[in-house]
Amino acid sequence: MSSQVSQRRDMLATETRKTPAELLIERETLISIGRVPRGLYDEEVAEGTWQMRGDQFLLRAQGDHYFHYRSGRGITIERGYGAQLDEEPLWLNGSVYAAIASINGLLPIHASAVAVDGKVFAFTGLSGAGKSTLAAALGSRGMRLFADDTLLLDLSASDEITCLPGHKRLKLLPDALPLTGAIPEERVARAIDKFYSRPLGGHVQAALPMSELIFIEESAEFRVDPVNGAERLMQLQDDHYTTRFFTGARGYDRAGQFVHLARLAERIRMSRFRRPLDRKRFDECIDFLVRHIRREAP
Amino acid sequence: MSCPIAKLHTRFAEAVVDEEIVIMRLDNGELLSLTDSGAAIWRLIDGKRDRAALLAALADDYQTRESGMAADVDAFLDQLRKAGLVADV
Repeated sequence: MSSQVSQRRDMLATETRKTPAELLIERETLISIGRVPRGLYDEEVAEGTWQMRGDQFLLRAQGDHYFHYRSGRGITIERGYGAQLDEEPLWLNGSVYAAIASINGLLPIHASAVAVDGKVFAFTGLSGAGKSTLAAALGSRGMRLFADDTLLLDLSASDEITCLPGHKRLKLLPDALPLTGAIPEERVARAIDKFYSRPLGGHVQAALPMSELIFIEESAEFRVDPVNGAERLMQLQDDHYTTRFFTGARGYDRAGQFVHLARLAERIRMSRFRRPLDRKRFDECIDFLVRHIRREAP
Repeated sequence: MSCPIAKLHTRFAEAVVDEEIVIMRLDNGELLSLTDSGAAIWRLIDGKRDRAALLAALADDYQTRESGMAADVDAFLDQLRKAGLVADV
């Protein structure tokens, strides 16, 4: 009996032990309030834009609302005239977080993800394609949410790609709430018609290996097809707004970016999921996706 | 006697994904995917073989007659030359 208890404790310890990448991100995203530089180059950073230089990142949101990161010193926020404080978490969890991850060698991709049998299935596509809605809806089938909107990849191991658990709260449009069964909480921001939501399946908080990256598209019928060869590389080139931070931080030129994407394409299994955008067929859509994931899960 | 054909290595980046050769032109970012005979020709271009040697090696690989593939090989090499990826040296 006692050995069973201690064994269980070991399992829990393993489940909750953080990877070096998770600890790094935790340390580098500590926040303080203070004065920040107005530019990292000769020119000041303009409203709504950012600058990156070496181990520093500077973003200016609306008005005099600045976010400055420097490796080893975390994030400094300056809240001046015109700062929209309710939008501050969106900047922090979006561009600032992605830039910090990139400066520290982690690749942020534009994807929402669920965890199934200890592996991550991630959904990506154009903005508004339904990444969050699909991932949230899979919660109603027992698949726990792993990340919403941004997924961080640790590429440091040669054998597999490790995904870091999501740092963002799930955000859903009002019309996605009844589809997914997610429980709405507060509104994201005054100017944004989305709600923070709790997925029915709960969250996963441990780093896990990547299983598949699924590109979601619209079509008249449901189908899943593998993405192979050069197409994998082309798909990775499309619509990954967060990768610009990574290529910027790594200092990649066109050839360097190509080599980086090619290595990534070789290491990630990919498929394309096509489905009709018809609310009446949404359950059918989720059933179809669940069957695919169950087939592919180890 | 024709000239050897060589890759212009400063003009492109190359990778293999799922046994496909993917080439990116560095001047415009355009991707070119090579499979089967296209990939075989690309692999055979080594700066030493001329058109005739390429055809002979390819015919040997595919166990077929050189004359049967000459037109396709010429068209492919022209495409590579126009894209600035290879040159006669």
